[in-house]
Amino acid sequence: MTIADKNELRQPAYGNASGPGWLIAEIVDHLWPWAGKGQPAKKSIQLAGFALAIAATIAWVLAALGRLEAGAIIGWWFGWSVFEIFVRLDAKPYVKEGPWWGHLYRRATVMDMICYVSFKNLLIGAALFIGLRTLGIVQV
Amino acid sequence: MRFDLLSRLRHRGTALLAATLAGLAMSSGALADTYEVKLPPELSSSPKMCDYAPCKDVMPGATSFSERKGQPPFVEAYKDEAGQKKLLGYVMLSTDITDTPAYSGKPVVTLIGMDTTGRFTGVKILKHSEPILLLGIPESALIKFNNQYLGQFVGDNIEIGKSRSEEHLIGLDAITGATVTVIAQNQVMMTSGSAVAKQVGILKPVIRPQAKFAATTAAPTWAQLVEDGSVQRLVVKAEEVGLKSDGRPYMDLWFGYLNQPTIGQAILGKDGYAGLMARLKEGEHAIFIIKTAGMDSFKGSGFVRGGIYDRVQVRQDSDSFTFRDLDYVNLWGVSAAGSPAFDESAIFIIRGKGFSGAFPWKLVFLGNKIDKETSTKTFANFDKEYWLDAKYLEGGRPVVIKPDPTWLKVWKERALEIGGFIAFLLVIAAAYASRDALVRRSSRHNKWPVNVFKYTGWVVSIGFVGFYAMAQPSITQVLTWFHSLLFQWKWELFLSDPLIFVFWIFIILSTFLWGRGLFCGWLCPFGSLSELLYKIGGAIGLKRFQFHLPQAVHDKLKWVKYAVFFGLLAVSFFSMGLAEKLAEVEPFKTTFLVGITNRSWPYSLFAAGLLGLAIFMERPFCKYLCPLGAALAMPTTFRWFGLRRKDECTSCKACAKGCGSLAIDTKGNIDQRECMLCLDCMVLYYDDHACPPLAQERKRRDKAGQPLTPINGKGYFIPIHPVPADTKKGAAA
Repeated sequence: MTIADKNELRQPAYGNASGPGWLIAEIVDHLWPWAGKGQPAKKSIQLAGFALAIAATIAWVLAALGRLEAGAIIGWWFGWSVFEIFVRLDAKPYVKEGPWWGHLYRRATVMDMICYVSFKNLLIGAALFIGLRTLGIVQV
Repeated sequence: MRFDLLSRLRHRGTALLAATLAGLAMSSGALADTYEVKLPPELSSSPKMCDYAPCKDVMPGATSFSERKGQPPFVEAYKDEAGQKKLLGYVMLSTDITDTPAYSGKPVVTLIGMDTTGRFTGVKILKHSEPILLLGIPESALIKFNNQYLGQFVGDNIEIGKSRSEEHLIGLDAITGATVTVIAQNQVMMTSGSAVAKQVGILKPVIRPQAKFAATTAAPTWAQLVEDGSVQRLVVKAEEVGLKSDGRPYMDLWFGYLNQPTIGQAILGKDGYAGLMARLKEGEHAIFIIKTAGMDSFKGSGFVRGGIYDRVQVRQDSDSFTFRDLDYVNLWGVSAAGSPAFDESAIFIIRGKGFSGAFPWKLVFLGNKIDKETSTKTFANFDKEYWLDAKYLEGGRPVVIKPDPTWLKVWKERALEIGGFIAFLLVIAAAYASRDALVRRSSRHNKWPVNVFKYTGWVVSIGFVGFYAMAQPSITQVLTWFHSLLFQWKWELFLSDPLIFVFWIFIILSTFLWGRGLFCGWLCPFGSLSELLYKIGGAIGLKRFQFHLPQAVHDKLKWVKYAVFFGLLAVSFFSMGLAEKLAEVEPFKTTFLVGITNRSWPYSLFAAGLLGLAIFMERPFCKYLCPLGAALAMPTTFRWFGLRRKDECTSCKACAKGCGSLAIDTKGNIDQRECMLCLDCMVLYYDDHACPPLAQERKRRDKAGQPLTPINGKGYFIPIHPVPADTKKGAAA
């Protein structure tokens, strides 16, 4: 562990879960940036986040219907990703420390969160984008 | 005095960086004569090609040129002799004939001249999109390469590499660092030259043994014909020709070979087949094509009676077979049960003597791709292979040795290098994986158990990977991957440079396992060169001039590299060409590909300045500017296995003081994104003379007369648990 200061360690709400329950909680955690039960979060950021997430989802749906061009969907996804960083820093300010199968988490700095959200959303975005392109809905 | 010098050095370093970056920006277009130039659209469409192209440059002595003729097209060059036109040779535009892509994924548009005996008379690049020729290697290198074709016969076996007279192979000198570009260019030259030489009779067609068909009584259905490959499908998507999709493909064709009796009778019916065969002379063949969906006609809207069907042709190896109106027969219907409905159909007769139904061939759809940015049309072809199933041929299919694809040729030619490189990477990875054992054998004063591997890594990566193999990874590759991932993934593009390909697989795996430090700190050629210079500087007495920036300044400047990375990424979405130019912030091409002394002064000054600064400051480029380091630092956030820390590290600053990467913060945590995995802190971690908590415990035990137990994985002496007195007595009794 590269962390010397143990005060930096954090435990998410599902941190004590194990087995498939923990794995499902991890997946949900990656896909759902907002705070869960018992987690503090600023209402304003949460509401703005919900609004922007709905807009980004509509953008993907429009892309899936073939009514949004490649550049536009990339722009929307980038915009949402920037906002997700703020949402997560407010609601889930932690990242994994060590291997993905481990149960250790640490406090996320802004750079940690930028790295986490950009990498995660690159993978999600690429998967959706390639899927739509394979179906011939989005053209480049 | 020393502080004054340091301050001046810092100031000069910053000023030098700013000045050279500005110089680079100003001079980046200097070598871009034909890079992405806008060519007149008429060049590829007008019958009078030479009105738009410098045909005289590739056909010295020519005074006039014909209109485009033939399929694929070319023009005839004439010389006036006593009022008479004398045929001098032929001029062809490569993109009329082949769309072979070069390293950039786009073709190099080349004008080629060939005399009436089939010898090349001139080669001129009209347009290219090769970034390496824009910034790394001067265009004159490609001109010099092309000049090697002058006087060569088109029918000769010309390849990149050494000549082998025993194999009648003429070798051409490649351009170091642009192997893929020249291999593609060789394909363009030979394909274009051969296509025209065959049309005008300079090259005779290859005569292949004719097929002997096996007698069968079966009457296959359409589905069975499709299943055994007797009917093939060629689909061209709308986006592949630059059109907006409306749900339909641009072209959906089914085709097959009709001479084989079982297939021919299934498609045409017995009478239809007999009628068609009666029309064919010996050595002639028939194929059918039906279009079941599409936006356009496969026969071509430009077709006029007496002309050529310019949208479809058949290719067998390097022989092309085109169709004229006399080669066309109506196809009214398909007899095979279950055949699909179609709205366009044809039977074409192949009259070339070289064609054989026993060997594989391709139906080629010749299309035009519309560039969305410029609306210009570029030639693009789409093909599908056809080979009769063995059961339809007497004695089965003949043995066919297919030529290796370009990337495979490169891999085979460099097999030894690739093997050696993989072994080298594995040794370094194994050494790093054994770091715990290595650092335990080291001490603050003797780090050789670690350094022997690290320094070997540096020397090999500088000498072999950097200067010899020119396999320095670059941010441009990351940008290319990014775009390929989103837009069009081409394995061939990445496989064409085997060492880079292998290196990247290693980099991706090692970054997720251990972080970017194993590549950046142990294996990056430029990073290794920088730190080696720093070490040499220290060893030759410059240590007193060597310095680190204050931690607070470092903590601000380290973000610059992320800004550079995101800036390049953003620019690449607007213009990949501009991003490639700006990627010159990496001095890799100047250092390894071209050489510091071989480039224009801004590039040379920039690279030399960074390396000069590296003598006094450890890895300035890696810490503050490297966009590749930034790109790798981001996934390093999730590296699986990090270095170790003790609770005492929060207050003890021993490791932080010695950290050349300035990667240990005030709380004693390691910033894994900045860490170069030099392992100095891990050496201290187990050194009971250097690590303060360990040294303290050692001294305490020495005073108390207690033994020094081994140091455990957490970096502490294994605790001594005194055995209770009554237990001792019991044991004694």
